[in-house]
Amino acid sequence: MDRRKALRNIGSGIGAIAITPTVVSLFQSCQTAVTYTPVFIPAEDFGIVSNLMELIIPKTDIPGAIELKLPEFADAYIDAVWDKERQDNFVDAWKAFKEAGTSAAGKTNASELSGTDWDAQLAKYLKPGNDVPAGEEDAAKFAGQLRNLTVNAFKTNEFIGENVLAYAPVPGQQKGCVDLMETTGGKAWSL
Amino acid sequence: METNYDAIVVGTGISGGWAAKELCEKGLKTLVLERGPMVKHVEDYPTMNNDPWDYKTGDVITQETKKTQGKQSRTGYTTTESNKHFFVDDVKHPYNETNRFDWMRGYHVGGRSLMWGRQSYRLTDFDFTANLQDGIAVDWPIRYKDLAPWYNHVEEFIGVSGENVGLPQFPDGNYLKAMEMNCVEDVLKSSMSEKYDDRILTMGRTAHITEGSKPGLGRSNCQYRNRCMRGCPFGAYFSSNSSTLPTAEATGNMTLRANSVVHEVIYDADTKRATGVRVIDAETKEVYEFNAKVIFLCASAIPTTSILMQSKSERFPNGMGNDSGELGHNIMDHHLGVGASGRFEGFEDKYYTGRRPNGVYIPRFRNIGGNTNRKDFTRGYGYQGGASRGNWSDSIAEMAYGAAFKEAVTTPGDWRMGLGGFGEILPYHDNKMTLDYENLDQWGLPTVTFDATIKENELNMRKDMQQQAAEMLENAGFKDVRGYDGDYAIGLGIHEMGSARMGRDRKTSVLNANNQLHDVPNVYVTDGAAMTSAGNVNPSLTYMALTARAANHAVEELKKMNI
Repeated sequence: MDRRKALRNIGSGIGAIAITPTVVSLFQSCQTAVTYTPVFIPAEDFGIVSNLMELIIPKTDIPGAIELKLPEFADAYIDAVWDKERQDNFVDAWKAFKEAGTSAAGKTNASELSGTDWDAQLAKYLKPGNDVPAGEEDAAKFAGQLRNLTVNAFKTNEFIGENVLAYAPVPGQQKGCVDLMETTGGKAWSL
Repeated sequence: METNYDAIVVGTGISGGWAAKELCEKGLKTLVLERGPMVKHVEDYPTMNNDPWDYKTGDVITQETKKTQGKQSRTGYTTTESNKHFFVDDVKHPYNETNRFDWMRGYHVGGRSLMWGRQSYRLTDFDFTANLQDGIAVDWPIRYKDLAPWYNHVEEFIGVSGENVGLPQFPDGNYLKAMEMNCVEDVLKSSMSEKYDDRILTMGRTAHITEGSKPGLGRSNCQYRNRCMRGCPFGAYFSSNSSTLPTAEATGNMTLRANSVVHEVIYDADTKRATGVRVIDAETKEVYEFNAKVIFLCASAIPTTSILMQSKSERFPNGMGNDSGELGHNIMDHHLGVGASGRFEGFEDKYYTGRRPNGVYIPRFRNIGGNTNRKDFTRGYGYQGGASRGNWSDSIAEMAYGAAFKEAVTTPGDWRMGLGGFGEILPYHDNKMTLDYENLDQWGLPTVTFDATIKENELNMRKDMQQQAAEMLENAGFKDVRGYDGDYAIGLGIHEMGSARMGRDRKTSVLNANNQLHDVPNVYVTDGAAMTSAGNVNPSLTYMALTARAANHAVEELKKMNI
């Protein structure tokens, strides 16, 4: 079966991703038992960013962003790897994302936004086919960057790399053209 | 402490390891001096089995690393967490740039033979006659037939995987089983054989064992982990550490002294011979002298030339062997960072196993006679490349984010293929290095100042390299084909060479046809400094062959008492 068609049929036909009770509750209590002190992301924003990452890679039968500690990874990553200019641009984009979201939801403070509000923002910037409203280019950039950071953190995660993706630390042989389903059950190599 | 030897070898990299092996095997008591610390095969490969998640933020280049390895990090890949320890600390080993020069170094036993790209190709007579035909620089004093038996010799010992294709510009050799192309690379190969009569796609020739074993410390088959630069627990790719040095050691004739910075070759004006070398201990800063009947300088092009420049005497006020004034000049590299890539639709149900430590290769097809000759540039280029299934695909973008997106992210992405060119840089007298005695390093030695740039021939060649890569991909049905021509400065190819060139005439060259200094016949230079032209292929195999040939010559000369 055409893989593209198969994937397309999953979760199609709606403007925003289906809002589950879990998503709604994510943002209601910012008690992500904070034992982690972020090194880059401002402490007051870490909860929101974590929840946004959970929207991008939610818990399914595989753990989601929060359980996998992807927000911690992304935070450390930005701090260690990006240069000052890139970090500063990210901070500006994050501010723009917060402002656009706050404004769109008709609120005065980012902390008042609900899961549905944040989800609508991600949908607006990440779902293809939507034009980025004028003045919201930086906010849209943030959404794209956060998604990239989340995916990078996901793929660099030990649990995912060894248990979810196909893991072969010592392949032993090299074959150029093999059947995907037979070889890895359809999964990408983690290494 | 013993100070008298039959031979001294300076450096333990690609060429130094070979000098050590050949000289020791022929019975010479050989002192091998390495400026950096010991690295023992397998024992001293701390990162060889690490996964990306063994590092706090993945196997990436961090800002912290750039503080001490800013220049080494210009490659964008060599100073990741798993590799950085094998590249120099730029603060401890500074150099100066009149024009940007990217000088990548590994100062330890094994040198860059530990971290090299392992691509192994022969020069041809197109290369050896190029300067003569173009009226550029000076003629090589050797031809392919002089080196061919030595290419055979080194390929046989180290193991090179590849296939013979019977092209004059891409000579046949002794190859172990070639690695496999994947489905999309096969598409390009078929398309090229159908649509072009002047070029082919073949598998890269790489110094990996793909069948059997090779001599050394238990060298066995490649396991396709593609973690080569960290050192290989299987000894599957060639390095001095797994191959030539253990072989030299097994003869009982080798004394290896690490942490030994050779800074001068000592000259005796009466005998008109070198008598030995002066060494500064890298750690204690104590100075030593060692004597030998023959000296092999294999410290890599720039350090070897630095040593010769520092070897001043009444006879050689401008550095040993520098009557011609060419010492330090004619620096070359291969220019790269230009080519094209595209996306292939199809084979969604196909994948590959193993992380192949090698790519596909397109041998030179320009300026090899007849219709292939260009007016806009002379010399040639080849391509290295490969196809893979990456992270992103259109379907992922459509999923946007969420559960379906997460699922899609765990599957292979679109097929993409890239072709990156490696082009020849001409020998320009003005491309040079000098020593700066106002800026000394921590051993009190002058630092190197580089002044070298690519020029019109290279720039014109790059336009063709990009255009041809894009055309080949488009003709094969790739979509969204994009050319690129990135940020290149000399040195980024990590093939810096020249500066003590071979030639027929002592008035215009530093070395003769046997890699001896014209004027000091018991000093041999067999690393990249010797190169009279760059060719367009990765040079390490040529350094090995030149070294083995020169070592043979040196031993014969010693027997005849000529040196």
